[in-house]
Order: sequence, then structure tokens, then C-alpha cells
Amino acid sequence: MNLNPDEIKAAIRNKVIELAKALDMDASDITDDDILPATGLLDSGAILELVVWFEASYDFRIKQEDMNIDNLGSINAMTNFLLSSKPA
Amino acid sequence: MPTFQTVPCVNINDEFVDVVSIDVKQGEFVNSGDIVATVETDKSMIDVVAEQDGYVLRVDCEPGQKIRVGAVMFWLGATRDEAIPEETKDTSSTASAVRQPTAKARAMLKELDIDPARVPASGERLSVADIETWLSKGGKPGKAAVSSQTAIRREDAPTVAGDLRELSPEAAGMLHTVAWHRDFAASAYLEVEYDPKPWEERAAAYAAEHKLMLSPLLPLMAFRLAELGRERPLINSTIVNGQRFQYTPVNIGFTVQAGSMLYLTVVRDTQDMDAAQFIGALGEVQRHAMAHKLPPQEASGATLSFSSMARWNVSRHTPILPPQTALIIAHAAPKNSEKAVLGATYDHRVLTGFDVAQVLLALSRPA
Repeated sequence: MNLNPDEIKAAIRNKVIELAKALDMDASDITDDDILPATGLLDSGAILELVVWFEASYDFRIKQEDMNIDNLGSINAMTNFLLSSKPA
Repeated sequence: MPTFQTVPCVNINDEFVDVVSIDVKQGEFVNSGDIVATVETDKSMIDVVAEQDGYVLRVDCEPGQKIRVGAVMFWLGATRDEAIPEETKDTSSTASAVRQPTAKARAMLKELDIDPARVPASGERLSVADIETWLSKGGKPGKAAVSSQTAIRREDAPTVAGDLRELSPEAAGMLHTVAWHRDFAASAYLEVEYDPKPWEERAAAYAAEHKLMLSPLLPLMAFRLAELGRERPLINSTIVNGQRFQYTPVNIGFTVQAGSMLYLTVVRDTQDMDAAQFIGALGEVQRHAMAHKLPPQEASGATLSFSSMARWNVSRHTPILPPQTALIIAHAAPKNSEKAVLGATYDHRVLTGFDVAQVLLALSRPA
């Protein structure tokens, strides 16, 4: 499993763009620090899909109590959260 | 409350069975599944088993007696001394569901191969007019079995070329749900217009306070529905064999569209939760649905439900009632910033329009 931070961010960004496109939204300009729920690009259903994809792709489990803006709110936050969850 | 157990339908064309033996006595405790009697027709002999635990309050038949299919055999109660209700002429009760046909009706039933238990009688006896009314409303003659489950209607395959395929478990589940709605519920729909802003403001404030990733709007509304289920027990009940079944827990059903699959996810025992616990529990269940990994206890047992199609800008929809529930809320996308529609499909055997209107008005604004 590739845990290179830049590649993780790229994968997340591509997934965000794909999910936004399904909602007729263009997320190609999204930055790594944009707060995803605040951008309006993804609705709650799409954010759920993003989280489920994230867990499955990187084989880790996000506890419900960790489902918050601090841990998963942006592409950077998601990447950092993943890396901190994985053994060194 | 005492319940009765009726003579089972052994063979589709038999109106009567012979009681061979009674294996219990008044006052005796039986467990569900215990053999309580044996009955016989021309073609077979079967054991009658208790359908639930309970004390035998009264035995209404005896060995050697010829008894009508659908007639009461036993009364069971939670205690030995529960009072058996006086008999009523309520034709909707299971005990009186099979009225004796007139001679002409009996001939018609035989000619058309119709089980009399499928035809509602308008009077003391089942008449030709009752059969004709039933046929005009879509009743189909033929060898359709009547059981305590939803009746499976038979139909011919289309004449256009194609092939039959097995349903997936999810599709079979949806078919069962729709069939229950069609065959048991007296379904009706009601809606109110409301101003969505108070709920939107409440949800935004809650999300900011708790730093949520997902909008809590629908979970907060569903939690309010759970509260209403505790405050107004009638909406958390259903009808079973002519009696009201009052659910003990409030298990909230919540629809989740995961790809092409529609799930009715279930958060159980919401009566023991506060808003934060409910939102957390619902979030977990929604994630399981999105991953197509719902365990059975999260996919069944709803007693009260909530459905939203706002995500697809649907402004009005009339959802199907989940089996053995009396109410499902239909949340939709706002028509404009000041107006949205909140609807409900309900079982008119349990709830009146007034009951449902009161619930919708209560749900249309935060508590």
C-alpha cells in the first residue's frame, strides 16, 4: 500500500472531483486546505461515499467519533489523519 | 392482552377439518412451537403448534368435532386468569374472517377455485355479491395459497420474449416490503407545507458546534421523530390480526441510497439515546449501508421511519410503508427558501389524518 503523502492527496482529490461531477459540480480547483463540507461541492451522501472509499482504499477504520472537520475536513486533514492512524 | 389461535388452512379447498386430538388443558402453559392439537382432512393430518408462549385460557373445540377453517381453536394469555374479550361482530378479526358461504356462493367458489378465506363477507354469510365485488377489485380465482404471510399472487409470464431471473436478497426484500404495503396496510398520504429555515438554522448551529463532516439536518429531524414516537405511542404501533401491536422500543428506519441499492437502515432503541448518540449511531449505520455491509440488526426491525429524496431535488414523494409500521415520513427538497413539503405515508387502520397532521406539524419545526 502506497502511503506517500502526495499520492494520497492526489487520490483523494481525484475522488472528490469524481463525486462532485456526479452532482454536476466542478471540483477541479479545490485546494488541499479547502474545508470540504463548506465548499458546497459535495453533499452529505457524497461525503459519506468519500469516507467509505477512503477506509476501503487504505484499509483502515475511522471511528464514528473521529468523523469531524478536524480529522477529515480537508484533503490535507484526511492525509494527515490516515498517516497518523497507520503504524510507522 | 389475550390472543386467539385459529384452525389452520390445511388444504386450499377444505372449508372444514376434523379435530383428532386436543393436547392441552385450560390453565396449562405452552411454549411457541409446542404441539397443542391434531387436525385432519380427507388428504392429510397435521399437528397444530402454538404460535406464541402463553397460558391456555380456553379451548373452543373438542376431539371428534368438525370445525371451520379460520375458526378459533384456543385462547392464550400472558397469565392464567386474563379475561377473554366478549365476541364481537367485527368482520375484520381473524376469527370471523371466514363466513359461511350461501349455497350459490359455495358453488361459485368451487367453480372458480377460490379459497373463501380470501373473500371478505359484507354480512353474516359470504354471498355471490361478495365474490363478484372481490373479483371486480382484482381478486384472482385459482390456487393461490392463503397463509399468515403476505399472499403470493400468481400471474402469467409476459408474451414478449425474455427469461425469468432470481431476485437478489435486497430486491426480494423490497418486493416483500411493497407486497406488505399492498396487502395489509390501508395506506394513505398527507402533507403539510412548512418554512424550512428554523430546521436549517438549527442544523447549521449544531454542525458548527460539533464540527461535523455531515449535515445533521436529516438526523436531527429523524431524532425528533423518535421523540414523537415516545410521546405519541400510537404512531409507533401496527395492526396484527385485528389487534393493535404496541412496540416497546422506538427503532427508527432511515432510507439510504448506496449506489443503485436502496436500504432501510435501522437505529434500534432510540428511546435510550440523546441527540448526539442518535446522530453518531445513524452515522455508523449509514456508513455500513454505503459499504454494502449492513448487519441484519441494522437492516430490520424498524417501527417508525424517515425517508428523504431532497438530495435529488425531489419536491414530493409518497414512500412505501415498511412492513408492520404505521408511519413513514417523506422529507423533500424545499420549493424555495420559505416553503417546503413534509409528507407522510400512514396506515389508516392505525392512524387518522388528524393524528398524522399533528405529527407533521410537530416535526415541521425544531422542538
